[in-house]
Amino acid sequence: MKTARDISRPKLSVLAAALPLTVGGAVQAADENLPDLASSTTPWVADVYYENHTARRSRAGLAKFRNTLQVEADRQMGDGWAFRGILRGSWDGVYQLNKDEYGRNAGGAITLENTAAPLLPPVPTTAGTPLNLTQVPHGGGINNPIGTAIGLPPTNALGFDLAANPNDGMRVLGDRWHRPERGAVFGVPVRPCDRDSRGCRDFGGYGDLNLRELETPEFNDRLDFLREFYAKKTFPLADGTELFLKLGRQQVVWGRTDLFRVLDVINPVDYSRNNIYDELQDIRIPMWIAQAEYRMGASESMQDRNVQVVWNFDKFRPNNLGQCGTPNVMLDAACFFRGFANLWDNGGTVANFSPVPAGTAGAWAATDFGPHQIGVRKVHLPAWSLSNTQLGVKYEGITQGGLAFSLNALTYRSQLPSLHAFSAGAVNPFTGGTGNTTPPAAGVPVSHLIAFDIHYPRVNLVGGSLDFQIPDANAAIRMEGALTHGEEFVNTARRELYSKNRVLRTVIGVDRPTFIPFISTTRATQISAQLFWQHIIDHERHDGPLGTVGIVDWEDNFIGTLLIKGFLAGDRVSPQVMVARDFRAKALTVAPQIEWSVTDDFKVTLGANFKYTNGSSHYKFDDARSFNPYPPFTTYTAAGQPFVPGSAGLPGFEPTARFRAGPIGTAVAEDDIYVMVRYKF
Amino acid sequence: MTRHIAGHGVIVVALACAAGTPHAATEADIEKSFFPYMHALPTAPGVAPGTVINQGNVANFEGVLDPGMQRYIREGAVEITVGATTSFDTNKSYVDATKVNAGKVKLGAKPGELVGYVAGRPFPEEPDAKDPRAGEKLAWNNRYGMNAYDGLAISPFYWKYINMDSGKVERNILFGFHFLRYTHRVSQAPVPEITPNPSKLYRATYVKVYEPQDVKNTQLLIQRYEDDTKLDDAYLYLGFQRRVRRLSTGQTTDAFLGSDIMIEDFEGYNGRISDMNWKYQGTANILMPFYNHNDMKLSDEYKEPDGYKYVAFGGKGGCFPSVTWQLRKVHILESSPIDTNHPVSRRVHYMDAQTSVISMSLVHDRKGDLWKTYVVGWTHPDFHLAKNKGSGITPFDAFTMIDIQAKHCTTGQLKAQLDAQMVPVSLFNVQNMRGGN
Repeated sequence: MKTARDISRPKLSVLAAALPLTVGGAVQAADENLPDLASSTTPWVADVYYENHTARRSRAGLAKFRNTLQVEADRQMGDGWAFRGILRGSWDGVYQLNKDEYGRNAGGAITLENTAAPLLPPVPTTAGTPLNLTQVPHGGGINNPIGTAIGLPPTNALGFDLAANPNDGMRVLGDRWHRPERGAVFGVPVRPCDRDSRGCRDFGGYGDLNLRELETPEFNDRLDFLREFYAKKTFPLADGTELFLKLGRQQVVWGRTDLFRVLDVINPVDYSRNNIYDELQDIRIPMWIAQAEYRMGASESMQDRNVQVVWNFDKFRPNNLGQCGTPNVMLDAACFFRGFANLWDNGGTVANFSPVPAGTAGAWAATDFGPHQIGVRKVHLPAWSLSNTQLGVKYEGITQGGLAFSLNALTYRSQLPSLHAFSAGAVNPFTGGTGNTTPPAAGVPVSHLIAFDIHYPRVNLVGGSLDFQIPDANAAIRMEGALTHGEEFVNTARRELYSKNRVLRTVIGVDRPTFIPFISTTRATQISAQLFWQHIIDHERHDGPLGTVGIVDWEDNFIGTLLIKGFLAGDRVSPQVMVARDFRAKALTVAPQIEWSVTDDFKVTLGANFKYTNGSSHYKFDDARSFNPYPPFTTYTAAGQPFVPGSAGLPGFEPTARFRAGPIGTAVAEDDIYVMVRYKF
Repeated sequence: MTRHIAGHGVIVVALACAAGTPHAATEADIEKSFFPYMHALPTAPGVAPGTVINQGNVANFEGVLDPGMQRYIREGAVEITVGATTSFDTNKSYVDATKVNAGKVKLGAKPGELVGYVAGRPFPEEPDAKDPRAGEKLAWNNRYGMNAYDGLAISPFYWKYINMDSGKVERNILFGFHFLRYTHRVSQAPVPEITPNPSKLYRATYVKVYEPQDVKNTQLLIQRYEDDTKLDDAYLYLGFQRRVRRLSTGQTTDAFLGSDIMIEDFEGYNGRISDMNWKYQGTANILMPFYNHNDMKLSDEYKEPDGYKYVAFGGKGGCFPSVTWQLRKVHILESSPIDTNHPVSRRVHYMDAQTSVISMSLVHDRKGDLWKTYVVGWTHPDFHLAKNKGSGITPFDAFTMIDIQAKHCTTGQLKAQLDAQMVPVSLFNVQNMRGGN
């Protein structure tokens, strides 16, 4: 004989012991949404899940062997309060099972492009190799003696300590998604930070993680194993309205879009878990939030009205873009950060940096920068303070005619890092001093320095959303829009190499159930399409002597998504294919998947995601080599660049192209096939 | 006064009104409509309480069985036991409202239009076979019947997807269903309507899924407008997305969560009256699954804290409710979709004359072949939960939808609760589905 909760009650006695679980009646479960019936306490009701997600990646091999245990527990606490907790712990064995790619043995010795090799003498470098190799090792570029030999002041600070920054455990920046193609790239340490601390910085939950922390990402000082941990209560008010409170660690979801976010920005997102391919529910980073909803219900003119106030009082966290050296590094950004941080701390070799002959674009020599010359110096993570908390307000309603809409406003911190070039505190590699002291630029203020601090600026957002149906088309339409103030973009036309720009984002989505006979004649196949448009207002672009200067990101970009999902065998088998196209990046991902619910409690999922791009040259943009912070040494005189800082627009992949390639373009070489099994105890 | 309908082989109750001359219902019409068994119980040869109809004797009972059950019994898929015919007296307020408003209601010019309706049974008079819109009137009786409930919770509600040949249960789903009527209310406060109601909603249905894992916390809200020509609004909350999605109402003909049922099949017919051509086919005494829940064979499969037990299932594959069937006066009603692309070509509904509930629907595919049969068990409220006793409202008690072609069925075991506290208006708001995410 089964009890009413046999199909949901955990059967593991150990878990029953861990949580004081008892058999919760189905009535309790079924009534949990009823605001008036929660006046008494009830036993715990809990579900326990195990999931294994194993992925194999082209070229890299095993890319995921993640084992997750999740407990979802609910309890009526009395006096109308209900508690919900979701505890998640996972261990990803990929760092042990594929340690040569992602673990302790990842990376190795690298070589870097040196296009000026035919024009260079075979003088020995710090690495011991001659300078005139077309591929030089890390440490094989122009150093102090060579710099002095070619006419720089003997005090020049080129060169670095190869013992402190050895050519080991490294990869070439961007090697996962583009070739150097005569651009400026450098080595990036890729091993866990307990194994190799070079370039390790806390960018806000990633960037400075050791092997254990990478393997078990939920177990950290931010208590990420508490996926959700909140209490909620509905207070009936005398006039028939209700006040709903929800306090604790939670996700707050705004908007009506899938896959990419426009209004759904209250919680940051952990892209390190599976790039953009996991459900947002599983990768939103829960925050300690207090939310209140005043549910007014119907009025004489509106069928439903609600006002929601969301106060995110948690200490700031940005999106987790994934630590360099791990399988999922969104935009390859963390590799750029880590490599750049290492350059700041220890110096390093930059491929194709110094023009040969001087001042002329065409061939470049690999150059060894010393510490504190270029790179990422510091990450300014907002500390907890009242003024750093985040506040949102939403009005949501349904009109008489059935139009559902929301109006949203949010003040928050950017969840993406912004690079601010600083002008003081860096060593001039060509003189060994600081600032510009060499004629004809002596005394010229330094700017456009390839040295950055990372900030997370405050952003204010106003927006709204709506949905309705078009009966004649048998389709539902979703629309969403947001205008932000305060977002920052890399802008090579500005002294600080960034600018604040207002951004308009909109999306229109169409959902249509369609009977496709060869899939099923009785069960509709879901077809869902979305088109996102991002417009950067006051987008700045100028023509420089060597290329375009200004904001790296596209002024207008469009991303289209298409999901086709079928249901077979009583919904126990569900094939689907998701396609996303980044139009300006000319990048496409196709993600087929099939889910099979073998039983009510056991599900197997097979899937893959493949990425394609139409070339990559359109990603290249002003890449820092012609920023000219230290004239005359950095001045492209042959192109007419003056002896004052400012970019000539010399293009290349690194470090700016990632912002144009986007999440699909930067992952083009990361085709995954995977299997997931999920079991509910 | 009864006669046989040629070609149907069923006994037809006499048409009460003069042929071709629809008239306002009289007091007598109303009494007859709500109390058809006051003076005499229906009879049929060989049909007596305790009679077991099986493969061996089904030929003797074809006149009191719908074609679907005839087929199942003939094939040996099930046998049924006859129960005594009992009166399912309707809530007095509803009957009184019918009397007060008698004669005020008429059909509009187009299907789906109703003029002058306030409350109660819109057309209590006997259907007239010569009235070309008699079927439409019965559809309205069903729409505004007490079976629409002012407020009802079906919770818990266990569904099983079953392979009929093997009996293998392929999937279990645990639901909660909640119904609220905004207008024409007679039994639960507030009466006669819930205000404010600017969109002029008639009824809302809220559904929540509790199990299994892949659809857990899925919620569905369907809002039906008073204006039948207006399409329903439907919203879906997917637990894994934590987002409310607008549904296009075309999904009402989709297999609901992969079951054998469409949203349009709920309660016999759950769509717009204006979407169908309605045809009254006659009235007959037919065996229908009406019974006293507490007297039935009940299942020990699920255990409730209050001791409530669910209707047991048996027969081939466990696809049939183990209940008694009583001989009842039934209106036979055919609906055929106006939309030629509809997956159904027609449905034949067996509507209980006393309660206006549909207890059997025969669903035909686009080729016209019998596709599915929908059997709904109804219990007398006095033999169910204490809170339902004396309500005069017939609780929905069990169902099976059998896909004859696929040899598959979906069964439902449930606990219907006439409890206003379980259907607060706030439960039927989109915002409630979000629940603060």
